[in-house]
Amino acid sequence: MTHKLTPIRTPSVAPDLIFHNMDEEKVDLKDYRGKVVVVNFWATWCPPCRREMGSMERLYQATRDSNVEILAVNIGEDLDTVFSFLGTVEPSPTFPLLFDTDAVSMKQWKVKGLPTTYIVDSEGRLAYRAIGGREFDHPAIRKAITALGQ
Amino acid sequence: MRSLLTAAVICVLPVFYPVQAQQLQSVNDVTGARSWSRTHAGVYFSLTQILPEQGDAFYVNRGFSLEQIRPFTTSCVYMTVLRNDSAPGIVHFVRGNWSISVDGEPREFKTVDQWVKKLTAAEAGKPALIAFRWAQFPPEQEYEPGGDWNQGMLSVGLPAGQVFDITARWDLRGQSFEATLTGVECAK
Repeated sequence: MTHKLTPIRTPSVAPDLIFHNMDEEKVDLKDYRGKVVVVNFWATWCPPCRREMGSMERLYQATRDSNVEILAVNIGEDLDTVFSFLGTVEPSPTFPLLFDTDAVSMKQWKVKGLPTTYIVDSEGRLAYRAIGGREFDHPAIRKAITALGQ
Repeated sequence: MRSLLTAAVICVLPVFYPVQAQQLQSVNDVTGARSWSRTHAGVYFSLTQILPEQGDAFYVNRGFSLEQIRPFTTSCVYMTVLRNDSAPGIVHFVRGNWSISVDGEPREFKTVDQWVKKLTAAEAGKPALIAFRWAQFPPEQEYEPGGDWNQGMLSVGLPAGQVFDITARWDLRGQSFEATLTGVECAK
């Protein structure tokens, strides 16, 4: 697992992202304007997605007071499958998990493989991208993300 | 002026890459699955056998019937990794440009779209098809240096026990690169 985020050279506005969370409430990325948002696309059957999930929770715990939010978008699975998976992750995710059951976000966000993660700045623009698994609680990643929120 | 000249000289200097590093092989002590890997020009490329019973278990748990998925899981499938560790720029590949050969003779292998069509015709369910599509190694991708990578399944469509060579190709700043794994074996 690596720990480098790639700056997006010409930041553009993030595509729409509106899905239900585990409580079946609608979550809209636009409602997080003013915060730095880590948008992660994943699935329970994807080995690097599983490996990075714990590090994402540690990042969340370390940065939740620094204007940072995490939205993890599950691709193609149902609530029961994801719920069962959560018990196997240490630490188990407490950040919002969203459900893209038809995988429609993959095209909109130009995702070609899982996991893929984007960092959206506080003005709603794509700031960084990471293709493949990362150690999200690595100091280099934490520093890059928190710097966006300041 | 001197710095301008230096910059100009650096710009026209050819980029040299080390010759392909030695191919590595290993065997998983638990599953018996074999792996082949090589690093070339800062890009890591590896294949690890996915045994048919491993593939069956994975896809049956995603909603396929054994009858639907067996043609895929018995088609010589590998967990494939390509990673841009230290190439001096963006690595771009199209999987359609990769090739395999048996005893020097080129062989065709199915695209992800062809497999999805075949499984759709077999009336696999939508969640199963989504899992199948996104569990495959990407048909096209760009990797930034410093660790962008993917891990995904790749079917080469050869019979059990078949030995073959596979060449991954990518481009970087207009230059073409390739890395070949030789003597790769389909799981028996």
